[in-house]
Amino acid sequence: MGFSVLVCDDSNMARKQVLRSLPEQLSANAQLAKNGQEAVELLRSQQFDILFLDLTMPVLDGLGVLQALKEENITPAIFVISADIQPEMQNKVLELGAKAFLRKPVQIEVLNTNLKNHGFL
Amino acid sequence: MSELNLNEDQQDCLQEIINVAMGQASDQLARYLDTFVYLKVPSIEQVSTLSLIETLGSNENSASVVSQGFFGYEGIRGEALLVYKPKDSDRLADLLGYEPDELSVEEQIIDLSSILTTTFLNVFAKQIDNQMSYSAPRLLAGSQSAVSDHLAQQSFNWDLALKVKITYQVTDYSFNCDMILFIPESAINNIKAVINRILEEF
Repeated sequence: MGFSVLVCDDSNMARKQVLRSLPEQLSANAQLAKNGQEAVELLRSQQFDILFLDLTMPVLDGLGVLQALKEENITPAIFVISADIQPEMQNKVLELGAKAFLRKPVQIEVLNTNLKNHGFL
Repeated sequence: MSELNLNEDQQDCLQEIINVAMGQASDQLARYLDTFVYLKVPSIEQVSTLSLIETLGSNENSASVVSQGFFGYEGIRGEALLVYKPKDSDRLADLLGYEPDELSVEEQIIDLSSILTTTFLNVFAKQIDNQMSYSAPRLLAGSQSAVSDHLAQQSFNWDLALKVKITYQVTDYSFNCDMILFIPESAINNIKAVINRILEEF
């Protein structure tokens, strides 16, 4: 039984970077969202186990997604992957319920360690 | 003048490299100012060197400009300019005014610009498998002649000017500055080659 995965980033390259870094069983059926709004709509209509979430995005940013999911009690495991590495931002996303903060560009070992720590590998 | 002429994938790749570099530069800025910085996606555009110098000098003393040269491997070199409008350099002075040290505002603007420039370019270079060294940063009078004289003193042609528009929101303040990278043609071709190599890996 596999886990369902959603990758949300406005950059095509960043989405591919995440997909490429994931083990096959997680990347095979992963779905993609180009901004926070798309992600929230997908998360309302289907259940996802894991959300990889960028922060700096047009339309609805990553913090907006975290807030919306919290209010609507939608609870995938959220891994934030962002270039905004300020400690205050890292604390903020953890407070809003993210499992972990990973800095861009995402490193395959770091990603896998985090997935293991949270029981997805 | 040479142009980057990037297709959609190449543009996306360059944008992402710049986002990552900008994120780390902003983190350094936040530490320097001891505050939180709200980040926006930086916009990048290619501009003609001539029109840029004309805009900068549209009226005398219209801006503060800090200039710093950078040198990497394989012909990657250029001059990075940080351009502040008067209201933004005033805001910066207000922010920096809380610093207890005895540096003048000019010295602090130079320091801050150098932190932004070198952090940005170090992270940028790392992502394209390069490494930079730098000349000392200089504060130029923001007049057209000062900027064009400074550029004329450099030993290579400015074939391309890449403008990265940076907007920072710092608590109650927001200030804007433009980071302008002047790059010679050899460097442009190298950057394109590296972008293509990165894209091929996907």
